[in-house]
Amino acid sequence: MNGTKYANAVGAVRAMENNLLSRSDIEQLINARSKAEMSSITASKTGTAKSEDLSDVWAMLMEYAPDCKELEILLYRNDFHNLKAVLKAIISNRDPKQYYIAPSNVGLKELTEAINTKDPSGLPEYMRRTASEAYELVTRTLDGQLSDSLIDKAALEAMQNSAAASGSEFMQRYAQLTTACADLKTAYRCCLLGKSAQFTETAVCGSPELEKDALIKASLAGTEQFFSHLETTPYSDGAALLKESAAKYEKWCDDVLMELAESARMLAFGSESLAAYFIAKEAEIKNLRILSVCKEFGADKETITERMRKLYV
Amino acid sequence: MTNGLVLAIIGAALAALLAGIGSAKGVSLVGEAAAGVVSVDPSKFSKVLLLELLPGTQGLYGLIAAMFILLRTGVLGSGAEALTTQQGLGFLAASLPIAVVGLISGIMQGRTAAAGVSITAKKPDHNGKAIIMAAMVETYAILALLISVLMILNIAV
Repeated sequence: MNGTKYANAVGAVRAMENNLLSRSDIEQLINARSKAEMSSITASKTGTAKSEDLSDVWAMLMEYAPDCKELEILLYRNDFHNLKAVLKAIISNRDPKQYYIAPSNVGLKELTEAINTKDPSGLPEYMRRTASEAYELVTRTLDGQLSDSLIDKAALEAMQNSAAASGSEFMQRYAQLTTACADLKTAYRCCLLGKSAQFTETAVCGSPELEKDALIKASLAGTEQFFSHLETTPYSDGAALLKESAAKYEKWCDDVLMELAESARMLAFGSESLAAYFIAKEAEIKNLRILSVCKEFGADKETITERMRKLYV
Repeated sequence: MTNGLVLAIIGAALAALLAGIGSAKGVSLVGEAAAGVVSVDPSKFSKVLLLELLPGTQGLYGLIAAMFILLRTGVLGSGAEALTTQQGLGFLAASLPIAVVGLISGIMQGRTAAAGVSITAKKPDHNGKAIIMAAMVETYAILALLISVLMILNIAV
């Protein structure tokens, strides 16, 4: 019965996909004249006026597939963000709670305890070394930017390593795309700010389709060289948008992940459909936030439409 | 009890056992997928139930073949026949089509029907298509039952 895992969870996810916002729902939301109208459109589709939190989506997925370890990779970015937040909060004597992002594989208490006691043994394996190194770096140099780039890179490396260990092609592709999107942005920033080779080396992670050394070399050679190098990679479309505007590039990154999620839409078994649903909900929640902010600032319909992320349904 | 009769009884047991295992696996797989859908949308229970029933038929076919063997050999009814080893082997061989095909088709039909549950979950109006796709697998179980029964009925006792 190989290949028939998570039949129950996939069945539930397929039924829940009917409640995802469709293109016509998004169009209605864009045309809505008030927040109340937006809420009623959302409620008629999702069955609740309360905006859904990603933590609820995660809790639901874990209820259906509690043993699905590869799904945890989806939360690595939050885990490492929380590590950064807790480190900074502890060093500057602030409450880390306000910077903590949920859902996460590691609780705030565990993270705070690990940093306070300088004992990372309570953290997941993929975070331990990074937590120690970042703490040592930030207390020694007081350079928040350096420790941030160390943690960001470690998050991407951890994603790729765990995805490879899981054997899931979907998660491997997810980790590669996430890494490449982050690397492109980081290398471009380093290029614009004229960062040293040493700093860029610390910040860029590298992935099979976006080789690290070549990217660093291109970043150090100036923007023209940087973009002409990217034209030879599978990320040339994203690079063109990055050159144009950061907002367009961010949208492209989200859309690339959504295209990956779409590849799992026809599968009846396996963790891919669960991961795809999580990515779809993430995009939906992001769309609703963008919509709400755009409406608040009186953005026109064209601008809002331009910023809407690709939908799963 | 002769060796021939023992072989015939083993054949009956295999038909019921293997086809039953195939059905149990198939039904449980569809049941898992169906339960996932119903936990979110209970109104789809009757539609997914139809799909869940489909892989259950192989177990019934195995039972039918086993009953025929037991009736033909007299284990059920008139008293057990003193079968020769050749006759016993004949009944054992006759049980194999439904035993093996029942096992495999039960599992495979379960997979197809579980995939069909996704169709029902997303597009309930297209439930019939999901049933047809899963029912296609049934053809081979029916053919296997037919050949098993023909063999059982034509072994000279």
